[in-house]
Amino acid sequence: MEALICNRSQCEGTRNKVSLKSEDDSQKKEKNDKESEQATVQYLMETIGNLQKENEILRRDLLKSKRTPSGKVGFLLLAIGALTLIGSVVSTIAVLAFIGLGLTFWGALFLFARPIKFVRSIILDSTAISSYTTIDRIVEDLNYKGKPIYVPPYPKEAYLPEYLKGLKEMVVYIPAEDIVAIPTLEEMSKRQFLLKNPKGICIAPPGYGLIDLFEKELKSEFIQIDLDRLCSSLPTIIVNNLELAKELEINPENGFIHVKTVDSAYKDLYSSEQALKSIHSIGSPLISAIACALAKTTGKLVTIAKDAISPDLRTIEVWYQTLET
Amino acid sequence: MYFPLSIWDISLWIAVTAIILLATSELLAPYSDYFGDFVIDKTRLRLAALVLGAAFMVTVILRAVMPP
Repeated sequence: MEALICNRSQCEGTRNKVSLKSEDDSQKKEKNDKESEQATVQYLMETIGNLQKENEILRRDLLKSKRTPSGKVGFLLLAIGALTLIGSVVSTIAVLAFIGLGLTFWGALFLFARPIKFVRSIILDSTAISSYTTIDRIVEDLNYKGKPIYVPPYPKEAYLPEYLKGLKEMVVYIPAEDIVAIPTLEEMSKRQFLLKNPKGICIAPPGYGLIDLFEKELKSEFIQIDLDRLCSSLPTIIVNNLELAKELEINPENGFIHVKTVDSAYKDLYSSEQALKSIHSIGSPLISAIACALAKTTGKLVTIAKDAISPDLRTIEVWYQTLET
Repeated sequence: MYFPLSIWDISLWIAVTAIILLATSELLAPYSDYFGDFVIDKTRLRLAALVLGAAFMVTVILRAVMPP
């Protein structure tokens, strides 16, 4: 009996020890959790602080850009000029009339020559990043290996039945496999994202909006011009009219179409910090718009065969390839 | 109470202003539209310069047709 009692007491002692140990463990865990929580909170607070600072800097930049003085100066000059002109008529002083004429003219000129709002190129990049990241995610998730193909649209004026109207839009087809196979017209006309035969996806090209601007500047559609005219007129539109790059050369060479851009507005999208994969296969909005223009002009499928970017990102060279449908 | 400038005074003023604008637009041609805090549409500046130049030419033709 005594032995049994001893055993019981020993068992209780060990139970107590075990429960004490587990209590210690749970306390330690709680401590660790609290410490990690505190560290996370501290880290988050620092991040929030940094973001607030960045936000403040951006807000100041925005205010600066909003405070373009040309409008106010224009109105001021116009008002003073008008008053001086009235004064010259009343007092019949020629000098006052000259001053009034000058001030009124310069005021009107300041208002007339006030440009469309300018946006810093860094803002262009930050708005474009999200679409490229989405494309990267989709392609990675679906495990697609094919090269994106720019499919030329039908002319805007061409008559097409209602169910084929989708063919008038420029699209980029990303095939699942690394083979050139284009979906049927019926499938393309449905304006679907996921295509089944052959497997792939259809997306709007990143340069879709730019191509309309190019055509407005060109005053005709790319479908109506030939490749030679495209090679001569597109650099003028991009460099002089829209100022999207400092230099641009388009040269057909050895079955490829070589495009060289210097100081493109979208050059930062190619930086290693962004690590965007689709930018090399689909191209930046500018490169994509050129691919759209080539597809429209030649009426053929266009892919980006390869690209070369200088380490300082200033020079971007792209070789386009046209494919027979 | 009348406007104290004759057409020939205005012609002179137009000539001077047109020269200033044409020179400015030529000097600004190689640069971007954005100069620090000041922005200007170069195409419109050039257009204004050309219009003033044309207006001066009209006054010259007027002078030739109707001498003062």
